[in-house]
Amino acid sequence: MAPRLSSVGSIGMVIGRRALSGFVTLLGVSVLIFVAIHLTPGSYEQVVLGPRATPEARAQLAVQYGLDDPLPVQYGKWLGQAAQGDLGISLITQAPVLDEFVRRMPVTLELAIMALVIAFIFGVPLALVSGLAGGRRAARHGTRVVGALAMSVPDFVLACILVYLFSRSQWFFTVGDFAPLGEDPVANFRAMFLPALTLSVFGIALIARTGRDAVQAVTQALYVTAAVAAGESRWQIIRRHILRNAAIPVLTVTATFAGYILGGAVIVETLYGIPGVGLYVFNGISSRDYTVVQAGVLLAAAIFIAINILTDVLYGVLDPRIGSRRARG
Amino acid sequence: MTPIITVSDVALEYATKQGPVRALDGTSAEIHPGEIIGVVGESGSGKSSLGLAIAGLLPPNARWLSGEVLIDGQDVRSLDDAARRRFRRRQCGFIFQNAMSALDPTMRLHKQFRYALNGRGDDGSVAELAASVGLPTDKAVLRRYPHELSGGMAQRAMIAKAIAARPKIVVADEPTASLDAAMRTQVLELLVSLRSDLGLTCVLLSHDLGLVLRYCDRIAVMYSGRVVEYGTPELVLSRPAHPYTNALLRAAPGREAPGQRVQPIPGMQTAVRERSERCAFVDRCQRAEERCATVRPDPRLVDDRQVLCHFAEQEVSSVS
Repeated sequence: MAPRLSSVGSIGMVIGRRALSGFVTLLGVSVLIFVAIHLTPGSYEQVVLGPRATPEARAQLAVQYGLDDPLPVQYGKWLGQAAQGDLGISLITQAPVLDEFVRRMPVTLELAIMALVIAFIFGVPLALVSGLAGGRRAARHGTRVVGALAMSVPDFVLACILVYLFSRSQWFFTVGDFAPLGEDPVANFRAMFLPALTLSVFGIALIARTGRDAVQAVTQALYVTAAVAAGESRWQIIRRHILRNAAIPVLTVTATFAGYILGGAVIVETLYGIPGVGLYVFNGISSRDYTVVQAGVLLAAAIFIAINILTDVLYGVLDPRIGSRRARG
Repeated sequence: MTPIITVSDVALEYATKQGPVRALDGTSAEIHPGEIIGVVGESGSGKSSLGLAIAGLLPPNARWLSGEVLIDGQDVRSLDDAARRRFRRRQCGFIFQNAMSALDPTMRLHKQFRYALNGRGDDGSVAELAASVGLPTDKAVLRRYPHELSGGMAQRAMIAKAIAARPKIVVADEPTASLDAAMRTQVLELLVSLRSDLGLTCVLLSHDLGLVLRYCDRIAVMYSGRVVEYGTPELVLSRPAHPYTNALLRAAPGREAPGQRVQPIPGMQTAVRERSERCAFVDRCQRAEERCATVRPDPRLVDDRQVLCHFAEQEVSSVS
């Protein structure tokens, strides 16, 4: 048995295997989205030319962009280009879609990271406090009510309330005055905080609830009793035993939350006017900009798959029992 | 010789949803330095509670009713939080029945040892600790996680953690119950050798009369929260003075004569709610008379052992 060596090897294996199946998933997603967007009522020609255009004008436009080809042919062309890294040009702006994504990606990434950080800053202490409170009813019911509320308020409702409050007042945080991080970090933070907070609320509740249950379960484990018997202090027990063991289920919901951020970013960026990928895709959907939507969904799927692979790897790191199960086969 | 552990007339109960349940009902025992005491009895006899009371590890729902446990003349219950932690860390080790789940699954062995050595342990002292319980000392083994150990190794690791801070006392709650016979012997031999190397006093809670006979200096037979018989195992197990000890022997497999059956003890141990003014065993005892149901027997010295029975003399002579 050489657990260390083989577990390193197995992580590589896991990534490889998951990347392969992820690629297949991605192909499936691309077919689905291709079909879905073309089945949506209202085609590109109708949206661009408006309801009063002649059928001839519409047909001409369709020919120009190859939209008159049968769907499988269109899909085949698009896939071939995508495989070469060419995601096409926006049907509306005529700008290459890939460039636009690359330009907007950092904004969305910043938003997602901020939301994750906020979710952890509030979620983890809440989980610990209520998990360790054990039988104390106030703490138990407190987190349950707050958690249920936070999980069931839709992000667009919360966003509307915050936009209303902060656009009519001067409370440091701003709505709609986006400034790039590189140019004015303070203004950027003031503009990004509210959207990130909106996105994080679901995560706070998710982490607090799952974490509380995990902490409670770990507190009752025999190895915690053994730590008490060994004379370890409360803080030593939390730091040495509870945090890491309770982190395993929290990791699962964090992955779920990261997936949620992907979708939430579209809504939140739109409502707050943050020029990220989400807003771009949203505009693409409204104007039937097929290439933009296809690329956007494909990108989201790819990120989601990557998150899942990362989560799987982290499982093995956090929980050695999973790591060595993989090593054995 | 002054005893290192003095348990005098301890009564305690657990608050449960069904009301209080009395786990110890006037338990007394004196344990001398360097002794290995085997505590035997059915489940629910109070042996685990006795072990937890000695180690100062009673759960929060335990209520102390009377009596005291003195360790080295010090009443464990009177300690404040910091002193109690110091007591647990330095003076009293606890060995759990299920070693595998008593070891943190996400922590490598050497790190657990280091913590048990109060964080001061370097590689050398970690290896030394491993060697002292017969674990391999090479890095590859010490880098393992608990789930990568065999049952016997896990139990050794558990023992290593318990003795790391050189305590005077070790309480072992069925340390061999989850092991096979060969492992069982090895682990007990280890405890015996640690006793002589470190001068440990060991309280061994066990079901296994055979093991107690072989390895313990004295045996305490518990029933319904009382120590009903207390003496050397040779004496107690060959010539029991308490009908319960006798019944326990007849019920233990492996001791019956050819053609004889194992005799289960009729009836059930009943839960006590308050101080019982009768003999604990009266409902299941074949020797019971009216006196047993009305007068609580006091500890008496009969035939060189302490016993709680009105008819101990008759019981001894009936066997021999």
